[in-house]
Amino acid sequence: MKIIIVGAGEVGFHIASRLSLENKDVVVIETNADALRRILENLDVQTIEGCGSNPAILEQAGIKEADILLAVTNSDEVNLVASLFANILSSATVKLARIRGEEYLMYQDALTQDPYRIDVMINPEVEAVKTVVRLLQVPGAVDVGEFADGRIKVIGVRLDADCSFTGTKLVDLKKKTGNKKILVAAISRNEKLIIPSGDDKILEGDLIYFVSEKKELKGALKIFGKRAEPFDRVLLVGGGNLGLRLAKALEGLSIHIKLIEKNPDRCRELAEHLDKVVVLQGDGSDQRLLQEENIQDMDVVATLTGDEETNILTSLLAKRMGAQKTVTRISKFSYFPLVSAIGLEHIVSPRLAAINTILQYVRRGKVLSAMALKGEEAEALEAVALETSDIVGKPLQQIPFPKGALVVAIIRGDEVIIPTGDSVIVPQDRIIIFATRQAISQVEKALMVKLEYF
Amino acid sequence: MRLRYTLHLVGILTFFLGLTMVFPLLFGLCYQDESVMPLLKSMAVTLGSGLVLYLVFRSTRGEIMGHREGMGVVAIGWTAAGFFGALPYYWGGVFTTFADAFFESISGFTTTGASVLMNIEIIPRGFLFWRSLTHWLGGMGIIVLSLAILPLLGVGGMQLYKAEVPGPVPDKLKPRIRDTAMVLWKVYLLFSAAETLLLMLGGMDLFEALCHTFGTMATGGFSTRNASIGSYHTPYIHTVVILFMLFAGINFSLHYQCLKGDLRVFWRNPEFRFFIGAVVIFVLAVSFNVYHTVYHTCSEAIRFGAFQVISIITTTGYATADFEKWPSLSQNILLFCMFLGASAGSTGGGMKCLRIMLLLKHSYKQLFCLIHPRAVTQVKLGGRPVSNEVLHSIWGYFMLYLGLFILCSFFLAATGVDVVTSFAAVAATIGNIGPGLGMVGPTDNYVHIPVLGKWLLILCMLLGRLEIYTVLVLFVPEFWRR
Repeated sequence: MKIIIVGAGEVGFHIASRLSLENKDVVVIETNADALRRILENLDVQTIEGCGSNPAILEQAGIKEADILLAVTNSDEVNLVASLFANILSSATVKLARIRGEEYLMYQDALTQDPYRIDVMINPEVEAVKTVVRLLQVPGAVDVGEFADGRIKVIGVRLDADCSFTGTKLVDLKKKTGNKKILVAAISRNEKLIIPSGDDKILEGDLIYFVSEKKELKGALKIFGKRAEPFDRVLLVGGGNLGLRLAKALEGLSIHIKLIEKNPDRCRELAEHLDKVVVLQGDGSDQRLLQEENIQDMDVVATLTGDEETNILTSLLAKRMGAQKTVTRISKFSYFPLVSAIGLEHIVSPRLAAINTILQYVRRGKVLSAMALKGEEAEALEAVALETSDIVGKPLQQIPFPKGALVVAIIRGDEVIIPTGDSVIVPQDRIIIFATRQAISQVEKALMVKLEYF
Repeated sequence: MRLRYTLHLVGILTFFLGLTMVFPLLFGLCYQDESVMPLLKSMAVTLGSGLVLYLVFRSTRGEIMGHREGMGVVAIGWTAAGFFGALPYYWGGVFTTFADAFFESISGFTTTGASVLMNIEIIPRGFLFWRSLTHWLGGMGIIVLSLAILPLLGVGGMQLYKAEVPGPVPDKLKPRIRDTAMVLWKVYLLFSAAETLLLMLGGMDLFEALCHTFGTMATGGFSTRNASIGSYHTPYIHTVVILFMLFAGINFSLHYQCLKGDLRVFWRNPEFRFFIGAVVIFVLAVSFNVYHTVYHTCSEAIRFGAFQVISIITTTGYATADFEKWPSLSQNILLFCMFLGASAGSTGGGMKCLRIMLLLKHSYKQLFCLIHPRAVTQVKLGGRPVSNEVLHSIWGYFMLYLGLFILCSFFLAATGVDVVTSFAAVAATIGNIGPGLGMVGPTDNYVHIPVLGKWLLILCMLLGRLEIYTVLVLFVPEFWRR
């Protein structure tokens, strides 16, 4: 499978790194020689120096044989032009463009149809807002993914002393809790991800991922010692694009929102766009202001300014002053391992959100949705079991699944099955699989081995 | 540098090298000569050592291949290859000292073709085949071959590739390094098969055809005859060898693109034009120079002149004539060819045409700037700008090459070798050519060089094949610090 990536910024680099590890043929086009060198030295991909919007460069990169074109530069215009030329040169190639400008997105419908046919347009900020909203809807969770149109959720929670089941082996968990429909699919311990077996224990401080049906969620959260009441009061710091979008989205969910923004002109603009949100002009790191606005009663404080260092410090300050939870916007990927160490619960990154969305589309076969787990060590995939695939018609324990992959849920019509070793997948089932990065390409193969015969 | 991880990878390479010893063993068995037992013993030891290194230095942590590890694996791996490759000769009694065996082995892997064998024709054929096979493995690169075949080295392959493949800027033909390595080896294999076939049509048997093919395609220069290619008196064989030496001296990525159907790719490539231009001019000059003075027919002058110029400029080192008896202009041209070398990305050695070409362009730019002090100029190659960083690294390489050449020839002279020989021997080993002038001319060989001098030349050959930097970093203390 050949993939051309236009732009070697943070997004391009990470997508290239993920895909090259999965043994795909990746070609990266970039104008900046330094960014290219970083790619060439770290990843097993081909690089071409030049502008991706230049048709000659696209041709040189082999657009005609490419399956997918990902236009992810910082410039909307370059991404658009690259996608349009890719369409002219090779209409069979699937084209994804990262587009941030509101003014372009208004024409999304026209651009995705003939004659332009940009298959997917991704707005990183929209994706980031979706992630935050999902998080806020499941209080107590660190990470939330939705599958089967929201009927199944994959929830990541950090275990603390409140949970009465720490130290329990996974086999005993069902018996002790009496809940049949709970399955721990992955454990992240000391920044390492484990796809557990029944003998593994859950320990305090673990980040565990479990799968649950939407209606069972409250009970499941209670088992792990998490409160289940929804959030009520949210303070947003930073009224940029992301802040505005998030405020708008939360407004619709009837949550009380306060929004702090430094720039008086921008505040006026925000106030014009927002109805129920309280827009405050001031500095997010101003203690007096935070006190005045009753920070100690806030369920969530989200710091969303463009400056990640300020965001981190503001979140820490808010936490110290009594805020229940924080969401911090961080763009630099190298800071991610720091986050849990300094006590921040959630991070939001438009780039990471964009990467997740893009990877979903790149997945081969009938993968419906995907979610990258913390630290990008593993992924949860949702797929339809094809009749011809090796995984159907046999009990799960007899299927030679690659190490590091686990089927965590089977959805058959309205029924959701949390599988055991004896469960059998039948064609047209939707299945959710957890897989570590190393196992992903094998899982993809297992899902569609015989598709070539069609 | 993480030594454990480096040695772990060297273990894989060593094991792999052990496997390749099965080919000379087959020839040994076929001819029923005395090479069988020594080869079997060496193969067992090489495989065993590889396995031990692999297992002992295995680590459970996920290691990342960095620059330093890449260079370490290549430099140590090549030295290890030279060492294990010497075992058959040593145990087979071909040489009395290990230094000689090691010299012959390194000369094989680095495709130098400098020999310390007095009488080649009495050596058992199993050894001779191994000698030529080391050329062939070293020509395209042991590590490039392992990258193509062994998935184990896939991670960090680029670092290894960069450290082994000659040329200032390695090009990646395919998105993945493994596919790139595979493509290069396929082209190499294809050309080798074609040459073997053509040589067999010219009357050689399979053994000789293969050995000479290995010597040609790798631009090595080992022959199975004392008089090298000169012992075949047919113009046909000379022409075939001339052609394939020329092919081997051209960037293999051009061959690949040509085989894919783009025939004009050669002419579009500035380095190819430079290389072919140099070859044509030197061939004409030498042929003209030796016509009447040495040879009496025009066709002979051109045939022998072309053979020698191409053999030296591609750094192969085959000989059909004793060029030491040629006029001094011809000898001078050949000496210059030793420094110029073949194209980047070929199997040849020397400084590489690409570098010299860029240096000339850069020098002209300096001159131009003296005339137009305010001119803004940029060195370009085939219409594409060349960054100053690349130019600096090429100047650095040029200076190191010359500096090491001078330093090593001083040391060699200090061991008691005469002036002409010491200069020529160092030039011929650092450029991976083989025959030089004086005591090491085309009809003599390196056996008379003192032991200390041989070790020095071994170092020169490695420096030349791995393009100096990769070997030189091993001598920098900073490299070994954690």
